[in-house]
Amino acid sequence: MAELLVEKTAPAIKIDRVTKTFPVPFTRQAIVAVRDLSLQVEPGQIYGLLGPNGSGKSTTLKIILGLVAPTRGKSEIFGHDSRTVGSREAVGFLPESPYFYNYLTGAETLAFFGKLSRLRGPTLRTKIDETLALVGLSEARHRRLSGYSKGMLQRIGLAQALIHDPKLVILDEPTASVDPAGTRDIHRILLNLKRRGVTVLLSSHLLSQVQEICDRVGILAQGALVREGAVEELLALEDRTEVVLRDASPELLREIGALAQKSGAEVVEERKSRTTLERLFLDATENLASEKRRTSTAERPTSNGEPPRRDPS
Amino acid sequence: MQHRVFSPRRLAAIATNTLTELTRLKIFHVLLLFALFLIGSSLFVARLSFQQEFQVLKDIALGAMSLFTSLLAILATARLLPQDRADRTVYTILARPVPRFEYIIGKLAGVLLLLAISMLVMSALFFVVLFLREQATSAAAARGMAGLSAEQITVALANNHAEIFSANLLPGLVVIYLKACLLAALTLLISTFATTNIFTVVTTVIVYFIGHLQATAREFWLQEQGASWLGRAFLASVALLFPDLQLFDFSDEIITGLAIPLALFGKVIALGFFYIVLYLLLAIAVFNTREL
Repeated sequence: MAELLVEKTAPAIKIDRVTKTFPVPFTRQAIVAVRDLSLQVEPGQIYGLLGPNGSGKSTTLKIILGLVAPTRGKSEIFGHDSRTVGSREAVGFLPESPYFYNYLTGAETLAFFGKLSRLRGPTLRTKIDETLALVGLSEARHRRLSGYSKGMLQRIGLAQALIHDPKLVILDEPTASVDPAGTRDIHRILLNLKRRGVTVLLSSHLLSQVQEICDRVGILAQGALVREGAVEELLALEDRTEVVLRDASPELLREIGALAQKSGAEVVEERKSRTTLERLFLDATENLASEKRRTSTAERPTSNGEPPRRDPS
Repeated sequence: MQHRVFSPRRLAAIATNTLTELTRLKIFHVLLLFALFLIGSSLFVARLSFQQEFQVLKDIALGAMSLFTSLLAILATARLLPQDRADRTVYTILARPVPRFEYIIGKLAGVLLLLAISMLVMSALFFVVLFLREQATSAAAARGMAGLSAEQITVALANNHAEIFSANLLPGLVVIYLKACLLAALTLLISTFATTNIFTVVTTVIVYFIGHLQATAREFWLQEQGASWLGRAFLASVALLFPDLQLFDFSDEIITGLAIPLALFGKVIALGFFYIVLYLLLAIAVFNTREL
């Protein structure tokens, strides 16, 4: 049976009034994991599904992927019912804290998942090389996953989700247990996917990270969608405006305050602009790393054993 | 790319990956060593009882092979599905266009490949041991037949050879493999609804013993309780659910040198296939309804 897999007019993901309950064994009770959930993700968007632990994020992702059947309602991927196997032809998925087969090397892992998507021969080999390079694991391609760090496992997980050029990538807590530099790399990869028209749905409880890269977000609480919309719209405070000044003198600030008061406005807060802790961390670690690289290059002897010449500049 | 409901390539990828996983397990190496030890020790035991040397040798070797392949089938299969669930690897596989039946068949195919390789290695070792013992005993026998003509000695040694490498060895080995395949399919079925490896292993071992005892129990029941329809229905359902594993043992025929009737061999093969397919279909049905 053949079927067309990506219908261009259909939303990448459409969840319509989905409810999922799990019966509690030996009782007549049931746990409601997802409650009357409806949402839609358009092609090319990065959509963030937010919520505290136990809010129903992972169950929602599993319903979308057809791993769990909804008690009520319907889920579709590019217009195809999620319960059909064919709907997952153009989907890549990274589960939360994946382990994979630790007896395989990085390259073998990608070969296995590539074969499941019916890649083979030179195409498969090329895709393995490209994807390993994309996630920065080319050097570790022949190492077994048992020797990978958590961050590397997350990267190989992302690589297996991308090996077959999916149109939709679903990531469950993609930056959990990844350091800030790794997180930034993953964000860069996701933004690059977006530029190529790939739809990304990610779940996370790391709000600042989601804010950085997502176009839209949905906030889940106790299985229900409590807020949903474009990030800019959700975060904007309609009655407030920020003006960022450089080298403003105290006199100028006083004048601005007086002007605002005169026009009936109120200066709510006046403070120094701040960087983020993440930016500070990245700048500090990157500066140190580049300093080390410079030092080691300068100290390395030349091929004839003489000390290196210093750049006159 | 268009979706294919069934893809031999996907199935082969799962099967070969399962085989790789199992061959890299330490338990497999330990069990292989165990089998090698048993077959090797049979050589030693055979030396002690000169009269029935090859009978004892075959008895121990076939028994060890049957035990080893059964253990391997149960222990190797029991961990496959729970491990994939624990590592969440099952999500990454089934989140791709992989039907659940392909996943289950691929896992079983991997185990059957492992069992086939194990049987080939053990059989080769068994035949090497037989050959070496034959060489040793033939030389001794030839020395003992010093008064006979060369032709008589040749005939006697040829008879010896035919008895040692009897034609019934092959079906005996096939049936041992089939029994292990059946146990692997049964273990896979139990692991589709079990929550722990221990439950799977213990339940399969219980079924293993029921399978070995059911023929005796059935005869005893029919003698004691008579043949009421209720009793017959009960026995029929037990017989249908649990295979009569005693049937998968031709060691008596092999040891005593009796020919294995083709009809009996065919019946055992058919029964083995019936149970493997039955358990596989049930495993697919259960796994299809499971929420991951």
